Amino acid sequence: MIHFENVGMRYGMESEVLKDISFNLKPGSLHFLTGPSGAGKTSLLKLMYLAHRPSRGKITMFHEDVVNTSRRDLPKFRRKIGVVFQDFRLLDHLTAVENVALPLRIAGGKGAEIEEHVEELLAWVGLKGRMKSRPPTLSGGEKQRVAIARAVIKRPDLLLADEPTGNVDPVIAKRIMHLFLELNKLGTTTVIATHDMELVKMVGADRMHLTDGKLQLIKAGESMPDMQEEDFDFSQYQSPTLNQDDYGPRPYDPVDADEGDRE
Amino acid sequence: MSHKVHFLPDEKNHEATRLLPYVMAVMVYLSALALMGGMVLHKGFGAWTDTLSNKLTVQITEDDPEKRAAQVNEVTALLKATPGIVEVRRLDDQEIAQLLEPWLGAGNVTNDLPIPDILDVTMSQSLKVNLNAVQSMVAQISDNIHLDDHQQWLGRFLRLMDTVEYTALGILFLVVLATVCIVIFGTKASMAENRETIAIMHHLGAQDAMIARAYQDRFMKYGLKGGAFGLLLTYITLISLIYLSRDLAAGLVTIPEMPLQEGFILLIVPFFAALISMVTARITVMRDLGRMV
Repeated sequence: MIHFENVGMRYGMESEVLKDISFNLKPGSLHFLTGPSGAGKTSLLKLMYLAHRPSRGKITMFHEDVVNTSRRDLPKFRRKIGVVFQDFRLLDHLTAVENVALPLRIAGGKGAEIEEHVEELLAWVGLKGRMKSRPPTLSGGEKQRVAIARAVIKRPDLLLADEPTGNVDPVIAKRIMHLFLELNKLGTTTVIATHDMELVKMVGADRMHLTDGKLQLIKAGESMPDMQEEDFDFSQYQSPTLNQDDYGPRPYDPVDADEGDRE
Repeated sequence: MSHKVHFLPDEKNHEATRLLPYVMAVMVYLSALALMGGMVLHKGFGAWTDTLSNKLTVQITEDDPEKRAAQVNEVTALLKATPGIVEVRRLDDQEIAQLLEPWLGAGNVTNDLPIPDILDVTMSQSLKVNLNAVQSMVAQISDNIHLDDHQQWLGRFLRLMDTVEYTALGILFLVVLATVCIVIFGTKASMAENRETIAIMHHLGAQDAMIARAYQDRFMKYGLKGGAFGLLLTYITLISLIYLSRDLAAGLVTIPEMPLQEGFILLIVPFFAALISMVTARITVMRDLGRMV
């Protein structure tokens, strides 16, 4: 699904923020991306959602070289990727429903069917009464849920989430994690960047740990020998207590507007 | 063409381009006036030159009335016999007085003025008259007979006509150029204002063409809206000019008529403005997006 080989990345003429990154993510796998602030998590995610090109190295996604792919071909890859941005990146002039429907409309979906699915998903993430609200009138947690709904509405092949449970209460955080796990079970490769080590331990997935631009891969259950507790600022994040019986109702069946694009 | 997705803020919230329809209105107004001016002058000048290009004027300035009458008859006969001359007509005193009145004033053309006899000669459009031969034959009759084929005056007039028409076209070209520049600035400003929105659309898988379409549709609307308003202003101006020019003619000059057919041609100007806006916006967006990652 995703293959990085000796990838380096720098902004302009500055020193590399990512150094010799190599890994391979299998289809349908779930990984956490951890590391202290400034370690390069967001930069690595940027490479994965094709917002930036590497300075060196080779990246293969969906069985194709994406480093040398022309701009014209990038949208077809991007449509297979759902991204939850740390700063949400919603369009302020569109309603919650319109924001969530965007990936479907971009993929060519039309009509009331889209709206029905979008409303169903928004209700499921607890935003039933806020569907026609615009982002400036939503709280941080509500914006985050809209951003998550937008990322998963098309049941992407690859889901990248940057601190997806950072701004929501534990109940909603559990629901969101449950949604991610459900999507993962359905075959979506998932990478979740987080500082929340409780969440990481709870889910028990493999971990990609970044320190100063260098990547270490840690299998589920293994501890990292050189990991320092002070690498993480636990005080800022609420940890959802995941319990398999406490996931709530099964999530919606996501819409797939451009089945032809999928692998 | 890519399908349409609504993602730009409403026009009323679009600070960068909110005033663009007014600018387009001014541009359409100026270009429609330049175009109409060019067309009116072309038609008016064309009518004047058509009238004169196959005409020949013969003046007989002999002082002795009897000799002059004989010379008139002789020249008339000579011209009528010349191949390519269709009609020879002597202007009567009243017609000559009418020609002189704009300069001398009504009632001031009296019999004691040394007014020559004038022959109005119409030449065939298809058969060319050898004017040099006619000139030499007329000179054998009398030195007081003068031929004027208006070519010297027409040559200068045609040069002036060309200059005026090219000036009108030049103005039109400059207005179109300015419009293109304004649309480019407007598009770039709007893209800068919506940079984040465009980046999000890219992340969600939007193609450049989809983003360009949103801009080209919007700028086409600006062109149409501004163009319609500018055209309305143009018609108001033209109707006012027609009304004012009615009292100006006074027999001295012939004011070119307002060509109705050409007036309808102006209807295409707003559509042309919309087309220019649309194409310019599309090219600008595609070029700018092409420089992104």
